[in-house]
Amino acid sequence: MAEDLILELRGITKIFPGVKALDNVKFQLRRGEIHALMGENGAGKSTFIKVITGVHQAEEGQMFLNGREVHFKGTQEAQQAGIAAVYQIPTSYMELTVTENIFIGHEIIKNGIIQWREMNRKAEELLARLHANFKVTEEVGALTIAQQQMVEIAKALSTDAKIIILDEPTAALTANESEELYRIVDELHEQGVSVIFISHRMEDMYRLAQRVTVFRDSRYIDTFDVDAITDKDLIKAMVGREITDMYPKPKVQIGQEIFRIENFSRLGYFKNVSLNVRAGEIVGLTGLVGAGRTETFQCVCGIEKPDSGRVYMNGREVTVKKPGDAMEAGIILLPEDRRRQGLIMSWSLCDNVTLPIIDKLSDSKKFINNKKEYELSKKYLEDVDTKAVSIFDKASTLSGGNQQKVVVAKALAQDHMKVVIMDEPTKGVDVGAKSEIYAIMGELAEQGFGIILISSEMPEILGMSDRIYVMCQGRVTGCLDRDEVTQEKILELAMEQSQSGREVS
Amino acid sequence: MAGKSGRTISATPKGGMKEKILSLEGALIIAFIAINILGRVLSPNYNLTNVMRESPRYLAEIFMLFGMGFILVLGDIDISVGAIVCLSATMGCLSSNAGLPMGLAILVTLLTGLCCGMINGFIATRFTELPTMIVTLGTQIIFRGIAEVSLGSGGSASLKDYEGIGILRVKLGPIPLAFFLIIICAVVFIILLSRTTFGRRLYAIGSSKTAAKYAGVEVEKLRFICFSLIGFLAGVCGLFILASTYGANTTTGQGFEMEVIAMCVFGGIATTGGKGNLVGAFISALIIVCLRIALGQINMNTQLILVIIGIMLIVSVLVPSFRQKYLALKK
Repeated sequence: MAEDLILELRGITKIFPGVKALDNVKFQLRRGEIHALMGENGAGKSTFIKVITGVHQAEEGQMFLNGREVHFKGTQEAQQAGIAAVYQIPTSYMELTVTENIFIGHEIIKNGIIQWREMNRKAEELLARLHANFKVTEEVGALTIAQQQMVEIAKALSTDAKIIILDEPTAALTANESEELYRIVDELHEQGVSVIFISHRMEDMYRLAQRVTVFRDSRYIDTFDVDAITDKDLIKAMVGREITDMYPKPKVQIGQEIFRIENFSRLGYFKNVSLNVRAGEIVGLTGLVGAGRTETFQCVCGIEKPDSGRVYMNGREVTVKKPGDAMEAGIILLPEDRRRQGLIMSWSLCDNVTLPIIDKLSDSKKFINNKKEYELSKKYLEDVDTKAVSIFDKASTLSGGNQQKVVVAKALAQDHMKVVIMDEPTKGVDVGAKSEIYAIMGELAEQGFGIILISSEMPEILGMSDRIYVMCQGRVTGCLDRDEVTQEKILELAMEQSQSGREVS
Repeated sequence: MAGKSGRTISATPKGGMKEKILSLEGALIIAFIAINILGRVLSPNYNLTNVMRESPRYLAEIFMLFGMGFILVLGDIDISVGAIVCLSATMGCLSSNAGLPMGLAILVTLLTGLCCGMINGFIATRFTELPTMIVTLGTQIIFRGIAEVSLGSGGSASLKDYEGIGILRVKLGPIPLAFFLIIICAVVFIILLSRTTFGRRLYAIGSSKTAAKYAGVEVEKLRFICFSLIGFLAGVCGLFILASTYGANTTTGQGFEMEVIAMCVFGGIATTGGKGNLVGAFISALIIVCLRIALGQINMNTQLILVIIGIMLIVSVLVPSFRQKYLALKK
């Protein structure tokens, strides 16, 4: 063999009832390399990982570990062979300590008694290897998501894993935490561990991986050297078509101010936040996670109660005491967490779209009119091009990007909408659906809506916004125009106060 | 802003006749018919006239079924209703005995129920971090405690104004007033939950409180209304208990909360919220009433009847999950 392959899969086909989840897929992992696996949602990445870790058994194909063919019948066998997976949402037991979590299922036992001291010592060693800054006796539930991930990685190392699979490890992390994770992965790499990781973020791939394999529609597309690839080629491989303009920002004649907030404050969260939006304008709002962006608009929209603050629509003050008031005034919030806040996952798309306007669709405001409801939801769901078979599909069956489109449809159905606040609209959304959401955003601006885009993703903030407000530790630290803005200027403003150490008081 | 792909989404509802029969409601109607046939076979006295005559004793608690259906759909629970029945019956009885005209005594009974419900609602919506199971466990003890203190050392009170309460025992033709009111309530509340925006919002809250709030649903207001409503209905129940037992004592209404919850669950309402409807719950309530009348007519021990109802409850909860497994296997 020319290359030193630690893991190789050939011709893997996995069939679920009615769907070919993987179709003749191949994959090669070199010893000691970091290999990114990319593709849109539903491309088959997760299924593929589950085949490697023995959760699923492939109908066809072969898997070679260190050149020898293996067949895993369960996760235990894969674990014994030195393959461990760390999932996007840590699967730890929140009430147990770090040590207990690391050694769960393979506790060190002597004469039937658990050797706590030895386990704690070993756990400490593992954490030291990862330069973790928490104690092994802490409850996992008390740790941050990033620390919980470290526990998962330590757990993987404790089984003496030679191959570690990371499934969207940075999705739930802040920029700093991601940096920390990169460092850990680099270190694992130096220690000779081979890593496969899945991510939607280009940044992760460029930062870590030597090679990247792309899947699309359950098929293997290609493997590239990271050094020799451009964004454009990669996106083309993932989406199957060329996205000429990721950020289709239309030229819009910006009109009068339609929305303004003044002096919004909430103790411990944000202070004296003021900003305004004009018709047809896309206003970006960025800052580090925890800067108070989401919290500010939760208060503006009546979800939480601010200590002070005024809202003006077209120059006239409106009182917002509850979410319904904000909607009535035409301020529509697309919340950050669409699975929990934006949609009722167990409900049909139709019911989700019509929930906020159910009164208006009803006869004498009380009796639900199904016919109107179906027609209206069909119209708006088609307008945003939702990939769904029927309006009676459950929201939980859609991919992240399509769920986001349903949230948009739900907002559009409120026909008195004037201002739309999109909080992290592309979080966990694959690149194809992302560009579609940007397109919708552009169209909304063309129609004269005011748009506030809350986002931590620098490229989308830079690509879509006419003006950018930056928040830091609960304060607006600056407002930049599209012409003058640079990534450096934003970062400077986002970090400004943390350096001088001032806090919200 | 037409979709670029020109993709269309179907808006034709699924489901036909076959699914209607296979649904839980269909199965319950079949069970209802079966229970009536069984009653005919077991007891020679089981006929419409007798069922109507004997039904009021069992009907009173069905008033609470509708409120409990709402509460469970919200994802809440109210286990204080038995105690509210006791307290409102006690208050009605004592106020009548103290010389209040029957009309006012009836009002006192209903208002007691409503007040208790509002107290539950206030605590549940003001302190949202408390599980309603605990809130109503607490108020249950308080309400029954107040009733016991009011009843004094004897622990019971008998209604002196026999004749006055008689207005609740009137019959409209062969149909007792209680039965008549139950049917009206059933129609109103079933429509309220299944066809109105109010009902839709209750399901939204039960399915996801957070998402409902973000969609502009006034979560706490609606929860308060439902808790007040079930309190009022417990007052109605207390009133009819008073009318059929001519008094109240410390055990009045004991266990009613569990029986009502059981009827709801039996009818397919999930205690986790957001699922089920009152049609199923109402049919199950009727099944249980018919079963009790039939078994009562052959003088079966009341405790044994409870055992049978308990078994039915567990079986009924298991059936849907078996059905799902069967459907999954068929696929």
